[in-house]
Amino acid sequence: MSALLEARELRKSFGGVKAVAGISIAVPEKSIFAVIGPNGAGKSTLMNLLSGTYQPDSGELSFADHKLTGLPAHRRARLGLARTFQKIRLFKQLSLIDNVLAGFHIRHQVPAWQYLLPGAAFWRDWTRCREEGLALLEFVGLGDLAAQRAGSLAYGQQRMLEIARALATQPKLFMLDEPAAGLNAAEVAFLLQRLRDIRERGITVVVVEHNMDLVMKVADHVFVMDHGEFLFEGPPKAVQSNSRVIEAYLGGEFDSGALA
Amino acid sequence: MTDFLTLILQQSINGIYLGCLYVIVALGLTLIYGVMNQINFAHADFVTVGAFVAFFATTRFLTKVLGLSDTTGYLLSIFLALGAGALLGLLVNALVFAPLRNRADELRPLIATIGVSVLLENGQLALFGPIPFQFDSPFAQQTIRFGKIFFSQQSLLVVIVAALAIGALYVFMKFTYLGKALRAVSQDRETAGLMGINETFLIGLTIVIASALAGMAGALLGPVIVLTPFAGTSLIVKAFAIVIIGGFGNMEGTIVAGILVGLIEAFTVQYLGSGLIDLVVFSLLLIMLVVKPTGLIAERREENV
Amino acid sequence: MNGLAAVLQRDVRWPWYLGAIFVLLLLPVVFGTPYWRGILIVCAMNVLLAMSLNLVIGYTGQLNLGQSGFFAIGAYVTTVLLKSYGWNFWLACVAAVAASGFVGLLLAAFAARLRGHYLGIASLGFAVIVYQVLINWESVTKGVQGIYGIRPPPLAIPGFPDLNFGNQAALFYLVAGIALAVYLLLDNLLRSPIGETLRAIREDEISAASLGVNGAKWKAFSFSLSAAIAGLAGCFYPSFVGTLVPDAFNIVESFTMLAMVVVGGTGTMIGPVIGAIVLTFLPELLRGFGDLRLIVYGLALTLVVLFMPGGMVQAWQLLRARFKGVRTKPAADAGGVAR
Repeated sequence: MSALLEARELRKSFGGVKAVAGISIAVPEKSIFAVIGPNGAGKSTLMNLLSGTYQPDSGELSFADHKLTGLPAHRRARLGLARTFQKIRLFKQLSLIDNVLAGFHIRHQVPAWQYLLPGAAFWRDWTRCREEGLALLEFVGLGDLAAQRAGSLAYGQQRMLEIARALATQPKLFMLDEPAAGLNAAEVAFLLQRLRDIRERGITVVVVEHNMDLVMKVADHVFVMDHGEFLFEGPPKAVQSNSRVIEAYLGGEFDSGALA
Repeated sequence: MTDFLTLILQQSINGIYLGCLYVIVALGLTLIYGVMNQINFAHADFVTVGAFVAFFATTRFLTKVLGLSDTTGYLLSIFLALGAGALLGLLVNALVFAPLRNRADELRPLIATIGVSVLLENGQLALFGPIPFQFDSPFAQQTIRFGKIFFSQQSLLVVIVAALAIGALYVFMKFTYLGKALRAVSQDRETAGLMGINETFLIGLTIVIASALAGMAGALLGPVIVLTPFAGTSLIVKAFAIVIIGGFGNMEGTIVAGILVGLIEAFTVQYLGSGLIDLVVFSLLLIMLVVKPTGLIAERREENV
Repeated sequence: MNGLAAVLQRDVRWPWYLGAIFVLLLLPVVFGTPYWRGILIVCAMNVLLAMSLNLVIGYTGQLNLGQSGFFAIGAYVTTVLLKSYGWNFWLACVAAVAASGFVGLLLAAFAARLRGHYLGIASLGFAVIVYQVLINWESVTKGVQGIYGIRPPPLAIPGFPDLNFGNQAALFYLVAGIALAVYLLLDNLLRSPIGETLRAIREDEISAASLGVNGAKWKAFSFSLSAAIAGLAGCFYPSFVGTLVPDAFNIVESFTMLAMVVVGGTGTMIGPVIGAIVLTFLPELLRGFGDLRLIVYGLALTLVVLFMPGGMVQAWQLLRARFKGVRTKPAADAGGVAR
């Protein structure tokens, strides 16, 4: 399987702290790729580097056949890279459907003048976006709440909305930053099923996670980081039984998710 | 001493004198920002109110009614203006900042204070009319001569008062418990609260101190500026320029920046004419905003994604 | 599917526009004296200005305190081209609108990285600089003395007699008509995906970027359009007032515009219109109080921000909900760490 997303020797420091120190990564197509590691391992920084929220100090990054280094976040989204955030960043004042509609930004096909004086093409696009948007909301189980204000949702629902919104961009690669954080067991199970469905649709998934349950049950490939450096990678079973990985987790502080 | 050097020195003294006044005003602004990340847009209008209070106290009340001498009256009016500023600060804190404190929107208090500013200006307009008042300080007439350099007693008074105020503030911030608590609050409000510091009280105290300074500055500025109800509008932008150049929340930077702006103004008046002062200062402001928005003496605040 | 039907529902707006045209036609008739017709013209200009400012503050979420600068550019470019260079009025208008829009673009590019307070101060600095330039560049703007003798523009349509806008009523129809047209186009624009994009930037620029939104580009667009509309309002101001002086473009005017937007209700199209109308007519109705009536601007702004941040639109929505006995806001903060 070819690598959809490739990074070589990525480095990022914040005022002397090496958050990411020489990480090389290759994400195979149409898989679920998990990035794990103890607190402070640099996982979120890595995700920010991949999505374009931060620019690396050095290193190379490419997606399909495009070079990503130097490209700002919004351009990467156009190439097919989508993401969710660790701290939920929804458009709180807007309704659920309006949140998802924002995700169609790069997919509109309307002649510019029709934004001032709507014509047939405008209304076709308008209807299509709303139909697809509602379908996405139903996919994440929020179809009934389409008109509600996003800020009024429960935490778990907000996570799902973020996923629906990101999917609206029709990404080739979908990155999620700790999607299971704060979810109860039922919600995590729902999330796992959604991730599998997303993979079935042909979208490659990269998940940064703390929750080992999720990682072991759903990931095809696991990449372990510690203190900004590469530790180990391989299929879930191999990672589980690797002594260095176990040491890293037991040695440092980590949440209660069982390793075995 | 050559004539040129004399001129430079003379203008420098004027600049420092003006700068001290600006520093007093800007310090208040930066204190408020430091402790609660908010801007009091009405701050310069507190200065105007202070000026009017001092004016009426000096010319009508203290001398005519109480029969005090001009100089005593003026000095007393400085304290009255200080009190007026403190009172205004108390009101604005109670009515605007405190109720809006815990909302997420960082711009609402700013817009509310814009409302207060407009309110104060139009209120003063209704009371005093648009024609500039001639505020003559009794100290302005006597000059002191130092070689070929002249400065009025007024400018000496201003520098002394400014030095005292800044000195007192500095001592307060660095050496007293309250001052240290205040600095703690400006660095990390939540943690300070957790450590038993009453941030509500401290923030209120900061605003009162800052506004008192503004009021006092008004009494000192009154004789120098064109005293109309709208004097605040040109002053507030200058104060912003100083706070941005010096760095929001940065006391030392603000002091340096204030003197700097005073000097720039003095030399601009000398060489380019008084009409261009505002233009020069505000162009400088815009350049600073683009080049180094965190000020000359930068303080880092990183955004966590 | 009930959900789909609800989402696909389109507002029917043309009856409202028809009604507005009808009302506008009647207004100069109802307000018969030259004084009140003058107020109507000022109101129409204020509506344009408030709408333009709302585009940036309400929809894109940027604090712009320098709108008076763009208003000034519109007024002065039109007048100078008209009087000093003998341009046709309508062409001068087009040039003035383009100039305002262009300067808006420059300001946006300049301020691209600034947020919140800093942007507010930068825009304020811009307005002050424009004001100072108007005062000091005497060779062009005649400084504080002003430019005299500006006559309203005639409209020559072949085959018809010349329309002379010296008539107050005619000038009102012109400005109000333009304001209505701008409202229509702007409303369409903001209901379209472009509006969605601007709102996304307002709510959270970083996640908007993850959706492909180029924040800098759209903020520049919004600023530029807003400046152009303010410039458009500026084109007609000299004709109305006869003598053009810089003092009309003091930064206090920016605050008045801000008050109109906030009091009416940011983030809606009708809000600024209501705010402009209320804050234009209220001081007039309070003439009995003398200069004290100007307090209304500051007081309204402060009270609204403190107690009814959504402005009069929010107040209206709450009232409607009270009558219907239904809660407009769904249960807020049902849980979680969401702020």
